[in-house]
Amino acid sequence: MNAPIPSTERRRAPTDWKGADMQKRIAARYSSERRFRMIGLTAILMSAGFLAFLLISMLHEGASGFTRTELAVRVDFPKAPIVIDPATLRGEGADAVLASVNWQALTDQAATGALGQDGVWIAPGAWLVMRDAVKADPSLLQKSVTLSLPASDDLDIAAKSDGSPEAEAAYARLDKAGIATRAVNWDFLTSSDATDPTQVGIWGAFKGSLLTMAVTLLLSFPVGVLAALYLEEYAPRNRWTDMIEVSINNLAAVPSIIFGLLGLAVFLNVMHLPRSAALVGGMTLALMTMPVIVIAGRNAIKAVPPSIRDAALGIGASPIQVVFHHVLPLALPGIMTGTIIGMARALGETAPLLMIGMRAFIASPPGGITDPATVLPVQIFLWSDEVSKGFVEKTSAAIIVLLLFLLSMNSIAIYLRNKFERRW
Amino acid sequence: MNGVAIVTLILGLGLVAWLSARAKAVRLAPAPSGGASRNRSGRPLLHSLPVYHGWYAALWVLAPALLFLVIWANVMPGLVTERALQDSAAAALPIDAMSRSAILTEARNVALGNAQAAFDPRANALIEPYRSAHRFYSLGGALAALMLAFAGGAFAFTRIRPDFRARTKVERVVMSALLVASLIAIVTTVGIVGSLLWESLRFFAMVNPFDFLFGLKWSPQSAAMGYGNEDAFGAVPLFWGTIFIGAIIAMFVAIPLGLMSAIYLTQYARPAARAWLKPMLEVLAGVPTVVYGYFAALTIAPNLRDFAAWVGISNASSESALAAGLVMGVMIIPFVSSMADDSINSVPQSMRDGSLAMGATTSETIKQVLIPAALPGVVGGVLLAVSRAIGETMIVVMAAGLAANLTLNPFASVTTVTTQIVQLLTGDQEFESAKTLAAFALGLVLFVVTLLLNIVALHVVKRYREAYE
Amino acid sequence: MPQSSTPKMSARNVNVFYGEKQAIQNVSIDVDTDNVTAFIGPSGCGKSTFLRTLNRMNDTVASARVEGEITLDGENIYSSGMDVVQLRARVGMVFQKPNPFPKSIYDNIAYGPRIHGLASAKADLDVIVESSLRRAGLWDEVKDRLKDSGTALSGGQQQRLCIGRAIAVEPEVILMDEPCSALDPIATAKIEELIHELRGRYAIVIVTHNMQQAARVSQRTAFFHLGTLVEYGSTSEIFTNPREDRTKDYITGRYG
Repeated sequence: MNAPIPSTERRRAPTDWKGADMQKRIAARYSSERRFRMIGLTAILMSAGFLAFLLISMLHEGASGFTRTELAVRVDFPKAPIVIDPATLRGEGADAVLASVNWQALTDQAATGALGQDGVWIAPGAWLVMRDAVKADPSLLQKSVTLSLPASDDLDIAAKSDGSPEAEAAYARLDKAGIATRAVNWDFLTSSDATDPTQVGIWGAFKGSLLTMAVTLLLSFPVGVLAALYLEEYAPRNRWTDMIEVSINNLAAVPSIIFGLLGLAVFLNVMHLPRSAALVGGMTLALMTMPVIVIAGRNAIKAVPPSIRDAALGIGASPIQVVFHHVLPLALPGIMTGTIIGMARALGETAPLLMIGMRAFIASPPGGITDPATVLPVQIFLWSDEVSKGFVEKTSAAIIVLLLFLLSMNSIAIYLRNKFERRW
Repeated sequence: MNGVAIVTLILGLGLVAWLSARAKAVRLAPAPSGGASRNRSGRPLLHSLPVYHGWYAALWVLAPALLFLVIWANVMPGLVTERALQDSAAAALPIDAMSRSAILTEARNVALGNAQAAFDPRANALIEPYRSAHRFYSLGGALAALMLAFAGGAFAFTRIRPDFRARTKVERVVMSALLVASLIAIVTTVGIVGSLLWESLRFFAMVNPFDFLFGLKWSPQSAAMGYGNEDAFGAVPLFWGTIFIGAIIAMFVAIPLGLMSAIYLTQYARPAARAWLKPMLEVLAGVPTVVYGYFAALTIAPNLRDFAAWVGISNASSESALAAGLVMGVMIIPFVSSMADDSINSVPQSMRDGSLAMGATTSETIKQVLIPAALPGVVGGVLLAVSRAIGETMIVVMAAGLAANLTLNPFASVTTVTTQIVQLLTGDQEFESAKTLAAFALGLVLFVVTLLLNIVALHVVKRYREAYE
Repeated sequence: MPQSSTPKMSARNVNVFYGEKQAIQNVSIDVDTDNVTAFIGPSGCGKSTFLRTLNRMNDTVASARVEGEITLDGENIYSSGMDVVQLRARVGMVFQKPNPFPKSIYDNIAYGPRIHGLASAKADLDVIVESSLRRAGLWDEVKDRLKDSGTALSGGQQQRLCIGRAIAVEPEVILMDEPCSALDPIATAKIEELIHELRGRYAIVIVTHNMQQAARVSQRTAFFHLGTLVEYGSTSEIFTNPREDRTKDYITGRYG
């Protein structure tokens, strides 16, 4: 038993809480408390500040990527060295007729004719605009019209920020004459990669992303949901099940580039699937996304209360019927949310796709899942490597598109979560 | 007949089988009356609902035919080539295996419409035999698949009887589908380990593993150019660069900021502020790494270089370890903060109350009670964060350099394992070269290290959770 | 038993709200050093809530609001001049479930003296730790393993460690919130013995739902019901001759 408190132990003098020393000490403790709190607030504000800095600098850099400088060029088609009967452009074979014209020379000539020396500031790809204008309205060939042709990269940069001295001087001249204007660059949203920054667009990469995502979704969603159902509802407790669980948890944490190596070694080198194709990209990303869907799916299935299973079993449903008629429909919103989050991650993924060759120069949108393709993040990576200054704003503009895409996916996920979230 | 058409046709047959089998089962079923197993008309009750008979028949139509098509698609190219080679034009082919297969590939591409024309004139003669062989075998395959579909359907159709246990059979198929789906995770893991190991072993047949793991010089270019310098594959500078950026510089940013953010969110922030700040951190986690990489390379790195020059560091690189590490640290902040958040929240409230009731201030409680109590969880979270940081690719590819330096100077350029994997595999080189295979060896090291980190971290976190349950 | 002349703490017309819900209605009570005061009542009657107002532990609940006046030595503890850190050092608390910190036994006891700066030297701290553990009746059991974790002790030892931890800052009042509800009978007996020994040195308030325990350890008993103080008087009187029917019903086991 405990020894009694020794009688010799004197009682400590009561603490003098009002004393000056103690008051000073308490003041110091409170200021340390405030300091600590400030550090916490600073930490989180720094994260917020970084995010704001990143987003604002991307918007700032990228906004101008959606516009281009155009030069108004007067083209007198009847006087131009062009011999096409407008009638031939209205029927079949129009493309062949159009292809027979040297539009490049025609455009250069028109630009020099209209702008004199400043004709050199027309973009190398300006002839496409002229050709398309004629294709859309063949009657132009009998008229003299003013076309807005895109200005070259150098002039565009001079118009938007700081260009070379000659370009700056030329822009000042053209701007004063009312020839140079700023217009929305719709081509950026509808065309594909190109060597000249004035001609590039993101549609090719965007379509590549869509195809890749479609393959990923078609493969990972059914497999992920079925695996989640099996593990949560039927799996016996044995070594196999443990192995499956360990594999899934580890796969969720494996660096994405490792999946790229797997795709390269297995899909390309063993199975000889087409390189750079959305099919292989989608398969690689599906392996990456599947564990995410399984984990989210298991949590959603776990959240369905056992009473519902008991009720269904009680009226004579088979275990399969219980799951497919009752558990799965109730768990579906949760599974969908997890799937969208996994897909958003896959959409932003770059490294594994580089491994399987989706970094090729793709000048036209892929037609199918076996065509060579690239995706938005890889396109961003490729453009970021370009030396030409005109690519800076294009890269940032592509980032804006990617972030908007991701934002809308995440908004859908949050909406689904809030709409279908159930408390049992 | 092309693949899409035949698959569509078989799917259509499956639908027909489903409808007709279900209809047959409905006819067999007695009119709904009474609960006895035999009603007045004398017909026995169905064991399974008609819809299961439908599924049973559809499965018999689809499964064998589609399985056959998959096998056929893999076998057919070989058969086609063999048949095309029996043509007289094939006699003109060179004996050399490499140019021979190049010509064959060209002929095949033209024949199947993947290419407009062949560059090698010798391929032209083979196009037509190829085309006819292809037509022959694809037609044969399609016919066989259709026959299988019909046979399967007929077999299933004859088995429809009232007492036939269609539901049990269908459910057994569904069950095996579920099992197969979950086995894909194991297959993937085995695939990763297998392919990395296989390619790495081939690499280690060329380069001594000891030199690879402990060598101090990394210069795959000279080795690829045939200098045969074995020292060129010493990966230590890569390992150091990876640790320097991912485990040191990035953690210098992520641990204090992530931990303090979590502390502020869990202990100080009002619910309204938390409702805004937490999703903000999640947005930080959702930004694609390529965006971080671009930001690091375009904005952070040049500013850091100028800063270094301003304070008088002469040899500052524009691809500094610091730029990549700082941005990676920011990327990891939400990760550390959510792990710390979980750990702090799982410290029992009674512990916090106990400290406050002693007259401790909130910060004293956090520093002296909550953090020590949550430490194992936080450490586990940091390990997971390190594992994520060293496996991160795009930031270092875009912002860190390619120079394999062993340096402690954060303004100098270092390279990392992931950067080198990308570098080695995105050039135009033979797949068999040591340079390419080195990428797989690096991948194997990365895989093993991240796996160990994850296992240790999850173990620590799990033990910690159990301690407070 | 005579009531001492000057109460250590006194509450006047105290109301406690959680958001819109009122948890305590108009409670007035005095607590003194010579007697152990027990709060009894059915669960949810507000006895624990009221206990937590005495050292402002309700401040940690964002939605809680306290009205009325509670004084410690005549000074209102909810006034702006009262420092909550000091208050909690003067009014210690022991919780329902033993909650030792995940630190060594020594550091558990030394925690309070350290944060309040009560010991200037290591030797002083050693003295405080030893005397606190002795007074908590734990010294002989742990003196050879002061470096062991406090969480490694048995439940009863942990609770005595928590009492020792509270004693170490020389509080004037000790609040105990059902300190024995998680313990076995032998550990409970030790805690009760300890309460006897501490009486007179500190004003002790104990919340319990075990009426035998209230009868054993306390000299004054307050019966709470539905957030109100029904009856407050000497323990012997409450248990043998309650004035109110509700008190009688409760102690005879009609409800609870």
